[in-house]
Amino acid sequence: MNILGMGVISACGRGVDYFEKALNEGWKKPSEIEVPHLKNRKSPVYQVDLKDVSEKNLFKKMRRSDKLSKMAVVAASEAFRNSGLENMDKRTVGIIVATAFGAHVTTFNLLDDILDHGEAEVSPTVFSNSVHNAVASYISSALGIRGPSLTVTQFYFSFHYALQLSRLWLDEERCDYVLVGVAEQYGEVLRYIYDTKLTMAGDGIIRPFNFKPTYQIPGEGAAFFLVSKRNSDNVLCKFENILIGGGAEGPGPVDLDIIDTDGILADESVYERSLSKDVPVAAYSPVFGSVMTGSAFNCAAGMLMLKNQIRYGNPVKDNPHGLNILNDTRNGPVELIRCIRYNCYGSNAVIYLRKKSLAND
Amino acid sequence: MQKNNGQELAEIKKTLKNLLIKDLSLEDITPDDIRDDDALFGEGLGLDSLDAVEIVVILQRNFGLEVKDLENRKDVFYSIDTLAKYVLENKKNGS
Repeated sequence: MNILGMGVISACGRGVDYFEKALNEGWKKPSEIEVPHLKNRKSPVYQVDLKDVSEKNLFKKMRRSDKLSKMAVVAASEAFRNSGLENMDKRTVGIIVATAFGAHVTTFNLLDDILDHGEAEVSPTVFSNSVHNAVASYISSALGIRGPSLTVTQFYFSFHYALQLSRLWLDEERCDYVLVGVAEQYGEVLRYIYDTKLTMAGDGIIRPFNFKPTYQIPGEGAAFFLVSKRNSDNVLCKFENILIGGGAEGPGPVDLDIIDTDGILADESVYERSLSKDVPVAAYSPVFGSVMTGSAFNCAAGMLMLKNQIRYGNPVKDNPHGLNILNDTRNGPVELIRCIRYNCYGSNAVIYLRKKSLAND
Repeated sequence: MQKNNGQELAEIKKTLKNLLIKDLSLEDITPDDIRDDDALFGEGLGLDSLDAVEIVVILQRNFGLEVKDLENRKDVFYSIDTLAKYVLENKKNGS
């Protein structure tokens, strides 16, 4: 499954260029917000600032949308534009949105409205934004896409299932292209859950190789990819395989492992057991924060490495277990990358990314 | 000191403009950009039918006014002027 375009919006800024710059520059202090129920009242968060977004025309089409949909449309629009295929027949493009929490911020706003004003005085716009497929609908509407659309909601592996489904749609020739990606929004309820169930990194640093104890900093954003079985000069790289639940063999020796450690699991030791001393390992969550669908952002980093034939050094280099981590950014051949994610039950999902090869697929 | 009708109408217009901008997410528009006699829908401010339902909710929440039979109340929803007059008259009737 070829990747023809990608788009990212995160705390690093809007666009792949900003994401790439952040990977080159390494860790940056997250912003801090006031949280009344915390003792010191300040809490770090990797938050997206939509004021950075200059595409006012795009936003005019989605005046009523919430932040989740806006972030998704910005990322999806960039993925579409970067593919160079904007003028394609939009009936041949499908949309699959993966998310762990979906429009939970808007859903809680709706519930607050019901409590405060009663059912009869609830805003119809807030209600329509709270439904799960709203994000996909806004993407479809803003970009004029007329193929099938679907939202995959799953706690740990929603992006992986969305990728598998994309491949299925393409194999079935249900569509020729799929715009697949993730969107997550930070909100007060999420903040509360993170604060009470997980441990916040008070110093603003996620340490991906600590494994136990773990420290998180909530993040938000969206990352989208235009995928197809078709080939073109614009192919960035390809999704070689997506394996969920283990058991299946990978496609061969990898040049780099990217792990999704970000402090969302209280114990991430299981990752260490999946690593080899011979293969360098990287984790980029300190750049974009702890996000349930962070796999997509790590994949975006992997895609940039395959495209540019570069290896980005780890943004945070604490290495208490003596792993073979990437310390510095350096140029060098990269052919195959394995992106690994575990859930709290010890099951994993693995995405293999391979360098662009015009001769195959 | 009791306000006269003119003062109260002006305050209602100002409130309505601010509420429309906030609740309808009218980005890049200030209250001064909305003229009292501008058409709210179509060629004027460019609002649509979903905005009309939002305005009904705005009237309910902020002025305690229940607007029924929306289809036949287009005259009320024409502009800030007509909307403010409707609010003023019905607030008074209700009090």
